[in-house]
Amino acid sequence: MTKAIKINNLKYSYDSDQNLFDDFNLDIETGEWVALVGHNGSGKSTLAKLILGLIAATGGTISVFDDILSPETVYRIREQIGMVFQNPDNQFVGATVADDVAFGLENKQVASIEMPRLIEEALTIVDMQAFKDREPHMLSGGQKQRVALASVLALKPKIIILDEATAMLDPAGRQMVMATLTSLRERFGKALTLITITHDMDEAALADRVVVINDGQLILDGTPHQVFSQQTMLRDSGLELPFSGELASQLHNHPEKYLDERELIQWLSDLSK
Amino acid sequence: MAIRFEQVNFTYGAGTTLSQDVLHDINVNMPTGEITAIIGQTGSGKSTLIQHINGLLKPTTGQVLIDDFKLTSGTKEKQLIQLRQKVGIVFQFPENQLFANTVIEDVMYGPLNFGMTKAAAKIAAEQALTRIGVSENLWSKSPFDLSGGQMRRVAMAGTLASDPSVIVLDEPAAGLDPRGQAELLALVLELKKMGKTVVFISHQMEHVVTVADQVIVMHEGRIVAQEAPKVLFNRDLSWFQDLMLDLPKAGQFAEKMKAAGLILPRRPLNLQDLASLINKGAQHE
Repeated sequence: MTKAIKINNLKYSYDSDQNLFDDFNLDIETGEWVALVGHNGSGKSTLAKLILGLIAATGGTISVFDDILSPETVYRIREQIGMVFQNPDNQFVGATVADDVAFGLENKQVASIEMPRLIEEALTIVDMQAFKDREPHMLSGGQKQRVALASVLALKPKIIILDEATAMLDPAGRQMVMATLTSLRERFGKALTLITITHDMDEAALADRVVVINDGQLILDGTPHQVFSQQTMLRDSGLELPFSGELASQLHNHPEKYLDERELIQWLSDLSK
Repeated sequence: MAIRFEQVNFTYGAGTTLSQDVLHDINVNMPTGEITAIIGQTGSGKSTLIQHINGLLKPTTGQVLIDDFKLTSGTKEKQLIQLRQKVGIVFQFPENQLFANTVIEDVMYGPLNFGMTKAAAKIAAEQALTRIGVSENLWSKSPFDLSGGQMRRVAMAGTLASDPSVIVLDEPAAGLDPRGQAELLALVLELKKMGKTVVFISHQMEHVVTVADQVIVMHEGRIVAQEAPKVLFNRDLSWFQDLMLDLPKAGQFAEKMKAAGLILPRRPLNLQDLASLINKGAQHE
């Protein structure tokens, strides 16, 4: 099966004396939801910029659906990838929510007769259609991020990268965005590859696969349960487990492997019988 | 001496057709040398409240007493300079406000503005950077070359360098990784040790439980509770649900255990407490 993203022997350095990525390799399958996790400054956002061709690698290759990233292919590749950034206030251009979604479509020279339908469709997916005539700056953080997601979805990308898209939200907004991602997953299945960059482990737990990056090195790669069972390595790279994992590690009598909240309560319940 | 809000009302655009009441009859105390946490949903008035502490906003009616400074609707801009020297505010995502060519110049900006000589401002900046844990080899770098966590610290040093006696922080830990958050809480406790009065807004109840001496809860522009975290977080679950507020994660977990028939003798407010209660043995209903 074609890989959505294939990174081979990637090299990148901020300045001449310091390598961030040195022979970094990562394959992301089509239709996978991958959480890229790491502490602040671990290189995870830089990786997203490299994939989009916003910055250039000093060595190695990045392919997106078998297209090798180069100055010739970069625009074609960017058309396949939608990106949602951290700050919801930095990504609005339109006077209304609908205008904002239209902006990307105009850039793609979509016929104006087609637009209302595409805008409606995209806003419906993120459950924001009732807000289409509102001013974006009047929305809550979680709503803004869902509109940003709709703007991306309207362009029908095959890959969506969310770079710490919930970091600036309050708990309610974060829940809202995570629920939207879960529903995207159900709606699009294998037709959409999702990459969430985060250090929030509850968010990472939603993904099919968790990849942990520390100082440009891939140190763990597996299902959430596999990765969260490696508590020492996560701690050493400045990360925590989801709450249930942190709790389990402090119990005298504790499960052998990582259990999520529901599983841990069930386990405690069986134990007390 | 403390910060005291007396019957404060605040209306945006007062006297215009677009006027919007934001704060209603606020009476609240923030004791000197203590850490006060402010919690509440987005839009409950938290940010509006803290902007009254250094006069960025003035009460429409009522007054705010900050030590011997009295802030009312009639306070003149000129008088506010002495208040702003006393009260430093670190806004949300302060790294967005960095602007100078080097870290040290950025941190010196505040002290210079308050009239320090260049030499004195440099010393103040160096002390603030050292205290906040920004290593010396970064001082002459551009602040834009730093990582997110480092930028946050430089921005905070910029406020500390003017040596304010009150420090107000709007969601200081938002967006930081677990290590960054732990360092930030340690810093808040250190500020208290230095004798500073600290006021911070947070959505993370774990942080509130860990460092706050008292908590102010806001809802629709009103104060609905002002008490110690231990008292507050032992209120009925329904009270939190009505206000759409979270319990600390340990309390939430205990409530879920309860729903599954596993009863703990009391509500734990942090992970260690929850673990030790479970270790002693939960009672099955």
